[in-house]
Amino acid sequence: MPPTPFRTRAAVLAGRTASAASRLTGRGEGLVVGGKVILKVSPGAMRDLAGDRVAALVSATNGKTSTTRLLATAVGQTGPVVTQETGANMTDGVLSALAYGHPRGQAVLEVDEAYLPLILPDTRPRALLLGNLTRDQLDRMNEVAMVARKWRTMLESCPERTTVVANCDDPIVTWAARSAPRVLWVSAGQNWTADASVCLECGGLLRFGGVEGWRCTSCGQQRPEPAWRFQIDDGRFTAVGPDRRRFDLSDLALPGWFNAANATLALAAATDVLGLDARTSVQRMATVTAVSGRYEVRTIGALDVRLLLAKNPASWSELLTVMPPAPAPVIITINANDADGRDPSWLWDVPFEKLRGRTVIATGDRRRDLAVRLLHAGVDHVVIEDPYAPGVELPASARDLEVIDCAATYTAFHGLRTRADARTDPQTRRRKVRRAATRVVS
Amino acid sequence: MPSANSEQVTIVSIYPALLGTYGDAGNVLALRHRAALHGLEARIIEVAAGEPIPAQGDLYVLGGGEDSAQTAAARGISADGNLASAAAGGAAVLAICAGYQLLGEYFPDATGQPATGLGMIDIRTDRLPRRAVGELAAESLIPGLPRLTGYENHGGATHLGAEVQPLARVLAGVGNGDGTEGAVAGHILGTYLHGPGLARNPALADLLLGWCIGRELEPIEEPDVEALREERLRTVLGEAWNRPA
Ligand SMILES: [Zn+2]
Repeated sequence: MPPTPFRTRAAVLAGRTASAASRLTGRGEGLVVGGKVILKVSPGAMRDLAGDRVAALVSATNGKTSTTRLLATAVGQTGPVVTQETGANMTDGVLSALAYGHPRGQAVLEVDEAYLPLILPDTRPRALLLGNLTRDQLDRMNEVAMVARKWRTMLESCPERTTVVANCDDPIVTWAARSAPRVLWVSAGQNWTADASVCLECGGLLRFGGVEGWRCTSCGQQRPEPAWRFQIDDGRFTAVGPDRRRFDLSDLALPGWFNAANATLALAAATDVLGLDARTSVQRMATVTAVSGRYEVRTIGALDVRLLLAKNPASWSELLTVMPPAPAPVIITINANDADGRDPSWLWDVPFEKLRGRTVIATGDRRRDLAVRLLHAGVDHVVIEDPYAPGVELPASARDLEVIDCAATYTAFHGLRTRADARTDPQTRRRKVRRAATRVVS
Repeated sequence: MPSANSEQVTIVSIYPALLGTYGDAGNVLALRHRAALHGLEARIIEVAAGEPIPAQGDLYVLGGGEDSAQTAAARGISADGNLASAAAGGAAVLAICAGYQLLGEYFPDATGQPATGLGMIDIRTDRLPRRAVGELAAESLIPGLPRLTGYENHGGATHLGAEVQPLARVLAGVGNGDGTEGAVAGHILGTYLHGPGLARNPALADLLLGWCIGRELEPIEEPDVEALREERLRTVLGEAWNRPA
């Protein structure tokens, strides 16, 4: 690797100082401040810091943090890896990870969908993993088709060394990825089809189903033939490679079919693009237990809580499948701040009917919207402003649980993590995480 | 429990995957829920895009959607023809946001050019100078209907012709863009209220169900819903949330 230009080295130093100052004065995310300072001092810093060492970028509406963590762990078999620890995935977060991570480490980075076109040309990854595009927070005008068009244009001038690893079960991702010169198609599943009813090629209607996946009823566009497939056989999660080699993914510590599907995407990239050993990659991925606090068990007030994060209807639908079966009660926390989306109407697109047979503790700023949704879903519920407050009255079944699941929107999740941080002793936490993991059903 | 002699209402949900982007699928759940409270039997028919729309519905429901979905929906419904003839025969129609716009003469497509609507009601939609996003509160102009609450998210300015009445007068938010909100023509009701609109305004659901069976339904209040209504109206109207404006 050529030496980093002086200007960028100076910029990194300045960024480090600013970021430390920001942390010291408690003004929050030091990384973001650091990144801004670096770019100000050296506008070419991203290209300088990336060099040729970016192994992979990962983008998607859902699952990018988990996929990134899984792939980074697999890539770790060859040496040090640079990746975000905090999920900061816009320009500043990517830049900070490159600036402050191991100077010779290979980089595996998650990138926000909207920022990807800005970051791809300067980072020139060997693999670009594209998972799915579904609606996120609507009131940000983040229309799915608009992002797809930007991706498609971006991939028309895709860096020469980059292979796109794309989920071909998502018609929107497929449409965008088709403009790239080198694509490795992975059938990584997509249960959520509500945002992909119209063909982006011709405006015709898409049909889903069958072994061939989806196809357009007007122009005939259809799912490309995948090199890798994610399968569920008799309840076991399996990745099947191009040579029909099968890899059992049922032993992943991360719960749910969607994490096994994320692992399939990561495995395809690790094996066929980065040239890593497949078995070793699977073994390493199985050790990932929590991702930026997701799936961790924390003590909050009198309760031990497994923290679950969901950000949009597609990820909520998936999350409901990892909760323990009825009648175990669960806590659901709904906020509607900017980062959650200001309009919680999406609650009506989530199949909360699946929670019938148990009591849901509805909390968060928008607990009343949730209560009305649960009323219409026929799910028993209680509305409690703060279920962790001392002396608060909870359903008896909630007190009896060793660990209760709490699913939360973005700002609610981070609020709970902050609240828990101060108290939980790490040893108890590790023990409980193991116990919680063993009672997961899929 | 529906019995053999209970009144039945057939509700047709038109293209829920295309027109349901803003949680509007909840309107059908709300109709079913309110029907059950009133002892009516609701039969729900979901029509996927590309499938024929049944002619025998009592109430047709159209939700909101993104621009490309709206244009695709308008094409499909217009080619099918059954919605217009059912409405002409007296069936009720609830249309939200993009669904509301496409009932009219024209609406803006993804590029801002006017696209031909179904021409079922006397409205025309072009673009607002600025997209309307946020809480919407409005005083109903239908006698006996309580204050309306919802969330709006649209870029359309809807102009009402002589043959339709506005649904409500805006207290907070944008609505049609001229101080009015929504439109009513016979048993066709269009509105910008998401949230979904019928879950947040059960009286509106009861009004539609009443049109279907030909009699007014008694008001029934549910604490969860009343608590949400109060909270939402308070956020935009403050202490005066339930006082006449
Ligand atoms: Zn097509």
